[in-house]
Amino acid sequence: MSGANEAKSSATGARRGPIGQAAYAALAVVAIFLAATLKFDGYTLNILMQAATYAIAVFGLSVVLGLCGQINLAQAAFFGLGAYAVGLGTTDAHMSFWICLALGMAVSLLAGALLGASTLRLGGHYLAMVTISFQQILTLVMINAIGFTHGPDGVSGIQRPSLFAHQQSYLAFCVGVLAVVGWLVWRLADTRLGRAMRAVRDNELAAGVAGVDVYRTKATAFAICAMLGGLGGGLFAGGFAYVSPDQFSFAESVVFLTMALLGGVASPIGSAIGTGLLILIPEWLRFLKSVPGLYLAIYGLAVILIVAFMPDGIWGFIAKLFNREKPAPAPGAPLKLSPSDAGGVNVLETDVLSKHFGGLKAVDGVDIAVRRGSVHALIGPNGSGKTTTLNVLSGLYTATSGRVTLDGRDITKLPPHRRTAAGLGRTFQNIRLFRSMTALENVVIGAERPGNALVEGGGRAALDQRALAALDFVGLASRANEVVTSFSYGHQRLIEIARALAANPTLLLLDEPAAGLNSTEKKSLHELLERIAASGLTILIIDHDMTLVSNAASHITVLNFGKRIADGESMAVLRHPDVVSAYLGAE
Amino acid sequence: MDLFLQLLFQGVGIGAVYALVALGFVLIFRATNVVNFAQGEFSMVAAYLMVVFAVDLGWPYWLSFLIALGGMALLGAIFNLGVYYPLRHRTYLPVIISTIGASILLANTTLALYGPQPQVLQGWFDAQGFQVGPVFLDSQYLLIIAVTIVLVIFNYWFFERTLLGKKLQATSQDKEMASLLGISVAGMIMITFVYSALLGGLAGILVAPILFVSIQMGSTIALKAFAATIIGGFGDVAGAIIGGLALGIIETFGAAYVSVPYKDGFAFLVLVAFLAFRPQGIFGERVAEKA
Amino acid sequence: MDFTRRHFTTGLAAGVAMPAVLRSAHAQAATVKIGMVLPVTGPAADAGRYSLAGAKIALEQVNKAGGVLGKPLEIVTEDDQTTNPGAVLAFSKLAAQPDIVGFLGSIRSTQDHAMSQDIIKTGKPVMFGGTDPNLTHMGNPWFFRCRPNDTYSGRVIADYGVHALGKKKWAIIHSTDAFGTAGGKALADSLGKIGATIALDQGYANQSQDFTPVVLAIKQSGAEVIGSYFTFENDIGVFARQVRQLGVNIPWVGSPSIINYTSMKLAGPALYGTFGVADYAEASSPEAKAYGDAFRAVMKVAPDNQSSWCFDAVNILAKAINAAKSTDPKAIRDAIIAIKGYKGAEGEYNFDANGDGLHGYNIVKNDKGTVVFDKHIEFKD
Repeated sequence: MSGANEAKSSATGARRGPIGQAAYAALAVVAIFLAATLKFDGYTLNILMQAATYAIAVFGLSVVLGLCGQINLAQAAFFGLGAYAVGLGTTDAHMSFWICLALGMAVSLLAGALLGASTLRLGGHYLAMVTISFQQILTLVMINAIGFTHGPDGVSGIQRPSLFAHQQSYLAFCVGVLAVVGWLVWRLADTRLGRAMRAVRDNELAAGVAGVDVYRTKATAFAICAMLGGLGGGLFAGGFAYVSPDQFSFAESVVFLTMALLGGVASPIGSAIGTGLLILIPEWLRFLKSVPGLYLAIYGLAVILIVAFMPDGIWGFIAKLFNREKPAPAPGAPLKLSPSDAGGVNVLETDVLSKHFGGLKAVDGVDIAVRRGSVHALIGPNGSGKTTTLNVLSGLYTATSGRVTLDGRDITKLPPHRRTAAGLGRTFQNIRLFRSMTALENVVIGAERPGNALVEGGGRAALDQRALAALDFVGLASRANEVVTSFSYGHQRLIEIARALAANPTLLLLDEPAAGLNSTEKKSLHELLERIAASGLTILIIDHDMTLVSNAASHITVLNFGKRIADGESMAVLRHPDVVSAYLGAE
Repeated sequence: MDLFLQLLFQGVGIGAVYALVALGFVLIFRATNVVNFAQGEFSMVAAYLMVVFAVDLGWPYWLSFLIALGGMALLGAIFNLGVYYPLRHRTYLPVIISTIGASILLANTTLALYGPQPQVLQGWFDAQGFQVGPVFLDSQYLLIIAVTIVLVIFNYWFFERTLLGKKLQATSQDKEMASLLGISVAGMIMITFVYSALLGGLAGILVAPILFVSIQMGSTIALKAFAATIIGGFGDVAGAIIGGLALGIIETFGAAYVSVPYKDGFAFLVLVAFLAFRPQGIFGERVAEKA
Repeated sequence: MDFTRRHFTTGLAAGVAMPAVLRSAHAQAATVKIGMVLPVTGPAADAGRYSLAGAKIALEQVNKAGGVLGKPLEIVTEDDQTTNPGAVLAFSKLAAQPDIVGFLGSIRSTQDHAMSQDIIKTGKPVMFGGTDPNLTHMGNPWFFRCRPNDTYSGRVIADYGVHALGKKKWAIIHSTDAFGTAGGKALADSLGKIGATIALDQGYANQSQDFTPVVLAIKQSGAEVIGSYFTFENDIGVFARQVRQLGVNIPWVGSPSIINYTSMKLAGPALYGTFGVADYAEASSPEAKAYGDAFRAVMKVAPDNQSSWCFDAVNILAKAINAAKSTDPKAIRDAIIAIKGYKGAEGEYNFDANGDGLHGYNIVKNDKGTVVFDKHIEFKD
């Protein structure tokens, strides 16, 4: 699933500097102070309490949906888990509020992780259904397990911590938690985990190939989302002192989701705005109540209009007005490529490698040996199985039979990200960049691959340095902070190559790098390949452009109908009669 | 055995209702890759149209029926233009939210216009049903089952044997290819929405004499129909029918032999089981993405 | 122009709450206000309309008779959306208006539970119609019930079924919500005390589309009589029809919802011949008859308990405020508890210390679509 490309954030990169953080801290302190000292009536207090606790749960959605691009229609269920933990814990079990809150978060976290894990290969609508099912079943349990949950009566008399026994001090506490969670979610986008989530959101396949453990990243995002749901719910229960099943129904999950999308899922500020609005709008429209249903009808219409006219949500819309791009930093030292030379003479070997789709033998017992430091080309007519071979090599397909060894290590069964960790890098025929991110961020994700000794221990600065150097290597360092979609097709190719190079791979797989390039671009691509090869990095390239292949490659393997029909030194192979007939027809 | 037969009839009857609504889901999903969360509201609106014409104005049942279906066709078209079309180039998420907004809008507009009273709509037949041996056959459920069978046949004929049906199929499989072949993709999607609204409306009109006409009537059925769609495999017409029937039967027997209060949970337990062990549904659908 | 500071501050306060201005611009401070939480949207929206009508009839009568403390009474409403959180917000919105002196809560016990904390915080009397017995026994001094609670309905159903109808083997069907669960339990307890047997005790989830399994279970249990606690009218409608279709023809005594206007309209002949306990029965007293006539004149439909308790609640609040000669919450509370022998539409109110005003039920029969009063059963304990 390509997930929610929609949720692209033009704002994620903006203003995370020290000034932004100081402003955020100041704002948070003011909000906490106001919550504690202003005199609110009961109604305002209820609204604020609801907004603060809901917003925490919506922050969870901004992680799973905004950062990771996965849908979650059960946030109200997680919210309910936290709420019931505090509700039942403080009343029936007479436990401390804090223990109950932690327990609720733990239970939600676990449920979220399990749910996330169960969705290993499911995306989109299936994920939506799993979460809806979880939501429905939990609601039924809340209603019917009367002995445990008190059923539809709900739980009343829920305790607050004695430290925040007063309504307003409790509100201030919730606002404080909200501020901390908001800060963490805000910062998360810029951490390794956050980048991995965004990579998964933008392009799952490319994320895996760039070294991101897609499965674990998704499950983690789900777990974080659920845990924040549980936290919000626990605080909600303390705030209202009463919980009942209908507060955590499917309809509420939809409300949570709408809150996240309405405000702008990409940033916690958007989530907070969305939450506030969706709680306030129906309240503001209450004066229309003389006609039953009218205000909810207007609310429904507003949802449709906002989705149609503000694709990035309200905050996305606002942020775009203010967004300035940071100038690109100057690159430092040139890119260092030091491919591992741990193995023998061959970097990559395949041993009667096969990939069958039903009856179709797309790859049929192919042996390839790529010599260290060489440029090796894999060619063949359309449908000969080249790209399938590449996909089997990089782990997107599992081999039907045969073996793949990299540097003497058997990688046949490894998932894509483990192969990347083992030293494989690749690009795609149809470019797969992380479209919502800047060129630099794209390349940073590549640089971040586990086992990249060149950046280890260097922290963010080292990563940026390396990514910038890689961009400089392909000639795009001056545009490092532009979003990749603003680059030309040819330049996007170069960014993809830079992303692979930044990881300091042992072997670079290039899938038709010249496809769609004009002649000038092809020339500079050729020149780039020469520079890469000069650094000693081994390249396995697929292309149709025979000039490029014959100029760049020293060794060629030819496939036809999934079988290897020729292999050897370039010029010899190109003159091989089987190859000629494969390209020109049998006559 | 008597008990078993009665439960079976009831399960098939209620399952046919789910199947009819599920059919609407599937058609829209196939054409647009989007789940329409307002599908249940189509049923609700059609039932209210029937109440307005057949009950309040006292017009003949068949005439009211035709007018209600006409209204649904119009609603389907407006829905497409207002809710789906502006978002057609975006991912499924905003479209889902937009259909959720539409569902809130439709339900509450009806509430504002017609008020909250649940209404009674008579069925096609005066007779309540027949006693066949130990089993009572409700005439309205019989009608629903009959209509479902007819629709299965009609759908098969329509999609496999007519040019328009084939064009619709082509569009749902590959929009780019379809437009290269000179098929108007926008037109086909429009037809799909109109047809889905008609199917949803038909389901609403058929089920109204049993469940009464209320603002909530659509949403409860739609959620079950949604589950049926998954069990049958998204994107397969036969799957939707079988998923719906299976769900109705499982639910009825589950309520009879396991637990009545947890009745609504069975649908989702089955669903989770399917998602865990056979995510492609009974009939299968391509899940993986090409590299 | 006599522009006092008091006028100014009230004006300012009203100006902050915009919608409030729209609502009551012409009646500033010249009225005594009571707040009413009622469903305008959601599944119970229909019942909400009737409740409001009942309250307004009482309002008109009170004002015609001189109002309270010499000022006209005014009702301010908020929508609870038929949900618990909705009820909490609606109540707190009303409670935030300091000039509201008393409230009408919900007929739904869950919502009253949900609002309870806020009610204690507000500290003003709330008249309500939920029948869960616990509500007046959990230490909330501000709850006053204008309907008999379910310990009485359970006792009356059991008493009538066993003694008047002579049936000993029961099937209890109840919703799994708070109202249904509490009612079902009260009925089971009462049956146990009389020595009747329970052949089937079956809960169902609200908004079920099909009751076949439940009806078949009744058939198999060999029960001689059905006792029911249904919450929503559509559920009664579907259930009633399937009961008849599947050939279950035993007597049926149900909670009040079985004889309310909407269920009788939906179910039609399927409910003919059933019995219901009714806190409100038009023929039970001259007061009930008078209210019925007034309600019919306004709403053009038969009156039922959705509105009659609101009618009584407004009257009782007005009476208590006049008796207390002030709007001080404690004084009103004492005045309500002092009310004995007040004849309302629902029956004779004798408030006890818990805040329960009524202690008995009427039994009525659905005779081909009209509600016929059978008898009143009153308990002294």
